Amino acid sequence: MFLQFLFISSAILTLACTVAVLVTKNLMHSCVFLLGTLVGMAGLYATLGADFVAVTQIMVYMGGVVILMLFAVMLTGGKDFVSRAQNLLGLPASMGNKWTYSMGIFVGVVFILTNVKLLSSIIKTTPTKTIGNDFPSTVTQLGHLLVKDHVLAFEISSVLLLGALVGAAIIARPRKQN
Amino acid sequence: MNQTVVSYLAQYEFFDFLVAIFKNNQSLLSFLIYLIFALLIVGMCATIGGLGTYAERKISADIQARIGPNRVGPYGLLQFLADGVKMIIKEDIMPATADKMLFYLAPLLCLTGVFATLAVLPFAGGFIMTDLNVGIFYLVAISSLVGVGVFLGGYASNSKWSMLGGMRGASQIISYEIPVTISILAITLLAGGMGFGTIVSNQGGLPHQWFMFHNPFAFLATFVYFVGALAETNRAPFDLPEAESELVSGYHTEYTGMRFGFFALAEYIEVFVVCGVATALFLGGYNIPGLDIDILPLQAIQFTIFMTKTLLLYYVVIWIRWTFPRLRVDQLMSICWKYLTPIAIFNLVGCAIWMVAFNGKSIAELVFGSH
Amino acid sequence: MLPAQFDGLMPVVIFMALAVLLFLGGHFLSVLLAPKKPSELKSTPYECGEQPVGSAWSMFNVRFYVVGLIFIIFDVESVLMFPVASIFKELNEMGQGGYALIIFLSFISVLIEGIAYCWRKGDLDWVKSFQHSLKKETK
Repeated sequence: MFLQFLFISSAILTLACTVAVLVTKNLMHSCVFLLGTLVGMAGLYATLGADFVAVTQIMVYMGGVVILMLFAVMLTGGKDFVSRAQNLLGLPASMGNKWTYSMGIFVGVVFILTNVKLLSSIIKTTPTKTIGNDFPSTVTQLGHLLVKDHVLAFEISSVLLLGALVGAAIIARPRKQN
Repeated sequence: MNQTVVSYLAQYEFFDFLVAIFKNNQSLLSFLIYLIFALLIVGMCATIGGLGTYAERKISADIQARIGPNRVGPYGLLQFLADGVKMIIKEDIMPATADKMLFYLAPLLCLTGVFATLAVLPFAGGFIMTDLNVGIFYLVAISSLVGVGVFLGGYASNSKWSMLGGMRGASQIISYEIPVTISILAITLLAGGMGFGTIVSNQGGLPHQWFMFHNPFAFLATFVYFVGALAETNRAPFDLPEAESELVSGYHTEYTGMRFGFFALAEYIEVFVVCGVATALFLGGYNIPGLDIDILPLQAIQFTIFMTKTLLLYYVVIWIRWTFPRLRVDQLMSICWKYLTPIAIFNLVGCAIWMVAFNGKSIAELVFGSH
Repeated sequence: MLPAQFDGLMPVVIFMALAVLLFLGGHFLSVLLAPKKPSELKSTPYECGEQPVGSAWSMFNVRFYVVGLIFIIFDVESVLMFPVASIFKELNEMGQGGYALIIFLSFISVLIEGIAYCWRKGDLDWVKSFQHSLKKETK
């Protein structure tokens, strides 16, 4: 009952905010709508019983990435996006011409068809176990997996993050004015 | 399975009676129980937040040798109600150039972020709304909504003071989240879990059983957490986002009436939450000295213990505000990244080594041999 | 007897809904009770009595962005450390404390390297250009 409510509200939030991100022309507004999308995603993870992933989604994306995006918009001054050239759909010309859109639609149709084909075989075997009533902790399982089975991935991810940190620092460093 | 108020109440016999009344519609029953407790907690926290503004003014008056508010009610205790009524009947002004949607949204984000943290705060054994397995991690994550709210409040006003305050506020909140999170990691390491129930039940009622005095590193981590939490709630001496002598009033310069009230309410409740988390993580939480059972009459004592510790910390927060001068922005950032973060990492490493070297025993256990 | 269908996530949603309800209720009261006498002067941004010049939405320094970038990396690292930290005690009681400690410390050491690099290269300084020019002058 509650899980259905959570799923439906999260799904509506996600979809509505995603559409709003695409439709709105104000850059700041689309960042805020993206926040709604990410919160909705966290709700969807929570309905699947993945509590740790849901909270990670909130922590990293909502608290980190969205704020970084807001800062990035402020680098440009944060004014409304005024697009001079527009294409057929009224979207800015930099988002593509008729060829890119028709290619995109083609790829989308192929993708959806293959997905429907793949999913139809999965849907036939409905899961017997209902998750949510008995909310098992995924944290300890994750921890054991990270320490035992996937210890190399765990250690290498730290090196990856170090690379990302150094790269971020170098890119954002002010150039010498000579 | 995680403990909630409902699963706690389900131990008692009267719960079966309630189930019978609701004709086994248990999700409606648990919803109603949650709603009643949520309303109780929100009402209590709003009152504490309101009394917080009164305490702030009274204590500051005391420190500065003034009298402070003393007109409304006995000793001016009802001042916060008068302030609330005043905020409702004030005109709601929005700058003509403001971003209207975000101007409405910003206080709501702050309020939501703070209210959502109340769901995991452990007031007493069993009296914790939901003891999520990811409790403290969830609390840290959801309270980052406040940072977005502060930034958007500053941006949407389209006023220079607000914009500066909002940018400062967001960067300060995300920066100080790092030392706070790493200090919390050290406590997670000692407690062996992230749920508040696990963390509190791994401590005892007496000071030598608290995580604060578990080992020297945890002792340092307490102070790192407290300083970081002060900065995250934008309290003085870290109140740069709303520095009244340089930025008029920072990110809420353009906010009037009810919306300003919501920003203030969110800030005062957040201070309470932060103090409550410090109590639960480092100061033994609701544990009664010498007893560790959660039966119904004893919970009143547990609740009193928790509130006493939390409100004492609240007093310390206010005391700090009226004692220390404000920092500069570059000092603020260097304190976070060059002092607190390295110290927090040092504490984390120290706690990990301590756990292995002394087999998880605290100093008191090592010295006195037993609990 | 435990109820068959309760969910620990319900309070989270209830508290968020209460926040929204309180917000809407406050607005409703404010609309009912507050006076409404708009004037042009009231709706200008406050700039201590001066006429505001231009919009406040101007380009901001890149330093805020750098702080955001470094924050995200640390955030992800702490997220990865949380599950390992929460089973550390359990592993220690099982007698695998040394193994867990080595894994944990080697993960943290890379984090320390990262912060040391940023510190050394001056990415953690808030006032960069000023200090760079000072260093040049002293050279």
